[in-house]
Amino acid sequence: MSCQKLRGWFLERYDFSDLKGFAKKKFVPEHKHDIWYYTGGAALFLFIIQFVTGMVLAFYYVPYFEQAHKSIIEIVTKLNMGWFFRSLHHWGAQLAIAFLFIHLFGTLLLKSYRKPREILWFSGFILLGFSIFFGLSGYFLLWDERAFAAVRVATGGLSALPILGETIKAFLRGGIDVTGETLVRFYAFHVCVLPMAFLGLLVLHLFLVQYHGMSLPLSQEGKKLKQEPFFPNVVYKDLMFWLVLLGIVVTLATLLPPEIGTKADPLAPPPENVKPEWYFLFLFQTLKLFPGDMYGLNGEVVAVLLVTAAILFFFLIPFFDRKSQQGLRSPVFTAIGVAYLAYFVIMTLVGYFS
Amino acid sequence: MKLNYSLVTRRTFLNTLFGGWIATFFLGSLYAVWRGAFPTLGKEPDFVVLPKPEDFLDIPTNSTKAFAWGGKLGYIFKRSDNTVVALKGVCSHMECNITYKPADRKFYCPCHKGWFDEYGKNIEGPPPKPLEFLEYRVEDNKLIVFKKGVKVELPKA
Repeated sequence: MSCQKLRGWFLERYDFSDLKGFAKKKFVPEHKHDIWYYTGGAALFLFIIQFVTGMVLAFYYVPYFEQAHKSIIEIVTKLNMGWFFRSLHHWGAQLAIAFLFIHLFGTLLLKSYRKPREILWFSGFILLGFSIFFGLSGYFLLWDERAFAAVRVATGGLSALPILGETIKAFLRGGIDVTGETLVRFYAFHVCVLPMAFLGLLVLHLFLVQYHGMSLPLSQEGKKLKQEPFFPNVVYKDLMFWLVLLGIVVTLATLLPPEIGTKADPLAPPPENVKPEWYFLFLFQTLKLFPGDMYGLNGEVVAVLLVTAAILFFFLIPFFDRKSQQGLRSPVFTAIGVAYLAYFVIMTLVGYFS
Repeated sequence: MKLNYSLVTRRTFLNTLFGGWIATFFLGSLYAVWRGAFPTLGKEPDFVVLPKPEDFLDIPTNSTKAFAWGGKLGYIFKRSDNTVVALKGVCSHMECNITYKPADRKFYCPCHKGWFDEYGKNIEGPPPKPLEFLEYRVEDNKLIVFKKGVKVELPKA
């Protein structure tokens, strides 16, 4: 059957004119900040890599505490291309989260969260939350000493939250301690619950981007800007960037395969100078700052409450930033955004080099 | 009694009926899913029985020996003054396992750099509370470690 015939077969049954019209009508404005439009797409591409490599790994990984660690070693030593997929999955995750943070701070500083795009901001923020949970549950699957300590701290820290803390902790751990039950749970989160929830929310996020069109930074509003057709110009630019990214991820995966630590032992102390993945370092450093006793208050509870409040404020920023809601410049929130960014970057660096 | 006028229209009546039915169904399902997803919680042990007490009690001065306190780490610890105590080897901050540093005569948590002295007191870093101590006794050539105030009833063999 020739392609013409196939095309005819579909055209007789389906009307593609709407779709064509949509592709023709979609334009992307050109201005000095338009490079930020590509950061979300980059994260999307990296997530596509994660889904594909993750499916391959899931064929061989054994989510049982006695065999998990060994099964990963077998994946990287005995399986055809196993080392490559595991390494690619690792580096894809690192870059995906890096691009999500870049996307987040770009959106924050350009105030793209302002009316009418609040729900876009919320859905994106929750997607970042899912991604971080993806990361935590993913590296717990290694079942090595570092992952074990990280999950104990992450779930133990949540229990310092008032009222719901203990319930959340028990739900995540699948019991009172981090055990083999936690591993099965995190596996289910990582390969089923999170991907489903993530995809659903991603569809909403992408739909809203189409619905609202590209956001213009406040500084560019009212200017006469050149409009670039989305198809094919912007799509090609996206694809070019994705190709470069693919090159970077594959190079990193080939040259720097991630290590696998010593198998976790619930009765062994964690290794000296144990650190979480880089995107937890700012939290990790923050926790170290608070002394146990703060003027009679429990320092741990104070730290967890302050961090929760700071994240909640960040999440709800579209509601607090009244000025940009009205289309006015809002330097106060630019300063707040820069402060958040500076804290994140500095604490990550301090955590990395300490 | 027959009313001339109905208090609700047939539409409102049916909407309420179906709406209520759907809401009840979903709430019930959600509750069932939550109950299913929430784990049956185990319990921290009241006591553990360890064979060969001499392996634990005859350790060198200023050292520890680990045992399993349920799913957590426990330590038998001989202080520098030769008193032997049992304690939970879990940091009071974020539940990482602690380790004993004989040179400093302190317990140390590598996760967020917390320190405890020989008596379990949190002396430096983020830990908000002292370490938790347990009691022990030797019975029938077995070491029984138990929580304070718990009555230990061993199963008769």
